Amino acid sequence: MICLQKLTKQFGSQIAVDALSLEIPAGQIVGFLGPNGAGKSTTLKMLTGILAPTSGTATICGFNLLDDMIEVKRRVGFVPESGAVFESLTGLEYLEMVAALYAIPSEAARARIRQFIAFFDLSFETLTDKLLGAYSKGMRRKVVITAALLHNPPVVFFDEPLDGLDANAAVGFKALIQTLAREGKTIVYSSHILDVVERVCDRVVIIDKGRLLVDGTPAELVAAHGSGTLEHLFTQLTGATELEKRAQDFAKTFRP
Amino acid sequence: MSEPPPIPAPPRAAPAPSADKALHKLFLTLFLRGRSSRGLRKQGAPQSIGAKLGLVLLLYTGVGLISLAFIHQPVFVLSLYLHAMTLVFLGMFVAASSGELLFNKEEADILLHRPVTSKALLWAKIGVLVRVSLWLAGAFNLAGLFVGITSSDGGWLYPIAHALSTVLEALFCAGSVVVVYQLCLRWFGRERLDGLMTMAQVVVAVVAVMAGQIPQLIGHFSGKFTFSYHAWWVYFLPPAWFAGLDDLIAGSRPAISAILALVGVLATGAVLWLAFEKLAHDYETGLQNLGEAAAPKHRGGPRRRWLDTMAGRPPLRWWLRDPVSRASFLLVAAYLFRDRDVKLRVYPGLAPMLAWPVIMLVQNPGSAKPEGFSGFSGFMTAFTGIYIGIIPLLALDLLRYSQQWQAADLFRVAPTQGPGALCDGARRAVLLILTLPLLGALVLLARLFGSASFHLPLLLPGFIVLPIYAMFACLGGAAVPFSLPTEEAKSAGRGLKMMGVMMASGLLAMGATLAWNYGWFQWLLLIEAILAIGLYCSMRASVRSARWTSLE
Repeated sequence: MICLQKLTKQFGSQIAVDALSLEIPAGQIVGFLGPNGAGKSTTLKMLTGILAPTSGTATICGFNLLDDMIEVKRRVGFVPESGAVFESLTGLEYLEMVAALYAIPSEAARARIRQFIAFFDLSFETLTDKLLGAYSKGMRRKVVITAALLHNPPVVFFDEPLDGLDANAAVGFKALIQTLAREGKTIVYSSHILDVVERVCDRVVIIDKGRLLVDGTPAELVAAHGSGTLEHLFTQLTGATELEKRAQDFAKTFRP
Repeated sequence: MSEPPPIPAPPRAAPAPSADKALHKLFLTLFLRGRSSRGLRKQGAPQSIGAKLGLVLLLYTGVGLISLAFIHQPVFVLSLYLHAMTLVFLGMFVAASSGELLFNKEEADILLHRPVTSKALLWAKIGVLVRVSLWLAGAFNLAGLFVGITSSDGGWLYPIAHALSTVLEALFCAGSVVVVYQLCLRWFGRERLDGLMTMAQVVVAVVAVMAGQIPQLIGHFSGKFTFSYHAWWVYFLPPAWFAGLDDLIAGSRPAISAILALVGVLATGAVLWLAFEKLAHDYETGLQNLGEAAAPKHRGGPRRRWLDTMAGRPPLRWWLRDPVSRASFLLVAAYLFRDRDVKLRVYPGLAPMLAWPVIMLVQNPGSAKPEGFSGFSGFMTAFTGIYIGIIPLLALDLLRYSQQWQAADLFRVAPTQGPGALCDGARRAVLLILTLPLLGALVLLARLFGSASFHLPLLLPGFIVLPIYAMFACLGGAAVPFSLPTEEAKSAGRGLKMMGVMMASGLLAMGATLAWNYGWFQWLLLIEAILAIGLYCSMRASVRSARWTSLE
């Protein structure tokens, strides 16, 4: 479903993503992990057409990123980390605008939007009356997730999707993506909340400095490295050592 | 490894709204409502900018009444005037609006992963620019349409012809700005785009103000406008091409008008072809690169160090003793050098204001002659000196707006008594970084074009009153930097404020000139200095005692 072939992105002399190759079949939830600045968001932005790769390519649903960008875009949904929306539109105006970009008929779009707002416990009045600038961070995130799934894409990229969601919405969301994966959608889930990734994802990919470090199921990876938990594996692989001792030492500097 | 067969796109059952229309509607809504809002309901939003636009259109309609002075003039003369002024207004509007509309950073995360082409995005944005341009052009040309019917060689065809040529002119104007940006992207790359966009907008704004002088350059008013429009160089100006079209359809139809009309149509076609076909890819690249996380490495570094070093050494260290004021100074200085949004607002906003004193000095060298008595000899020099006070006033006003305005909540969270120290830092940054160099440039200009050294002391009343203007902008703690959303910057109130400042400047300049010519100048300076010190101290105390108001 998704196939990365030596995908590379350079910003000047800095290599953000370094010849990344991966294959992700349909119906899989892949946790895409890495420390800050590892190249996760840059990879997702290349796969969704926001950034142009410096070299290499990828195919999504059989369409090449470089040759058939619009066809790729029709088949992917993306929740960016920024959660950016047009703040001076109402939620409904925003979602209807997104629906129009995917050529979804108005009536069908309205019906899909109603399903989503019921799922996310949003009121239709809020969606029609309030501008997005007045929404709380969690409500805005729900609108962004709705906008990503509105056209029923076979591939969805989530970049920190739980950011701002309350506990109930987060539980519902996790159940939603697991169900979507069972129905054949491919989901790439980038997050720093490792216990959620461990519970939700079928497979974990960890990158650092733009390079692939490990790729496998959480259980396999934890067992292979003898690290006990995914969190320990992550810190072990990404070079963060003695974090607890460093935190204690730092905390001591606050003593009067 | 065999490639899996392509998966078909999700089914489309019934006819759907077109993506092009959706994009056009989106950008028009964003233009009318602004891009961000805090706590607004839908009903309240459109008033923010839409109502102001209505007032602007009314104002343009009023200004358009000047075309009544062209009754019974030939079609070409009337049209040349109308198209020249329309080009000025549209040029200023497109220059001011296009940067944010064409290259919005947040837009990448929202739209670039959707199935729309960069060409569709570009067309939608240009469509909005042209549409609003046509509203402005329509308002300004409304009176002219009827005046054209009364032209010596005109008739009932004139409104149709002029409407057609105005649409072409709007397309030409919007297309030209897009082509400038695309060429900048192609030749200089993304790294220099921010600086180039600022420069392009400054140049377009200044050229537009200068171009407003075209009617004066090519003619004179003596009860009736008389144009020496047969000057050969007039035919090289875009307004002449579109005036030619009017003349061809509704005027006396000479051969030269046919040629000019053809040039106008071809030039517009060529600009649109360049913008949407030849260079469209550069726009896509520019949009993609705008979202790139990595910033150019070296540009901020040395400047930052330079700023830090400057603020850390005497005399600036003594001037910026208060840490909050110093922090505010450094913040404003950094944004004036680095932030695209701030640069695009401040420099093109100041440039046309600065163009006026230059025009005044250049056009009125005669007013500076010391021979013989004239009660107002040297007025332009005095006015120019006082007018420069508009720089800190306008700059501090414009610096209140930022796309990152919500970050200014930090100022309220910090343990500061009120906004006074922040305003103070911003004021000092504006005085040092913007005003002082401009004062130097102005003295040089006055020396070159104006009065020679004989009238240079007439700049002094302006220099004395300058700190008052700067402090005036801070009254009530109003000049907290980067604390208001950018759409509030599109305010009609600022225009009124500036008109008030210009009138006050005119009165003071008149007083200074009379005092100069009657030999009381030194007394005027003394009285002005005493009053200025008193006023400055009381305003300063008022700014320092200002307290934070509740954010609703």
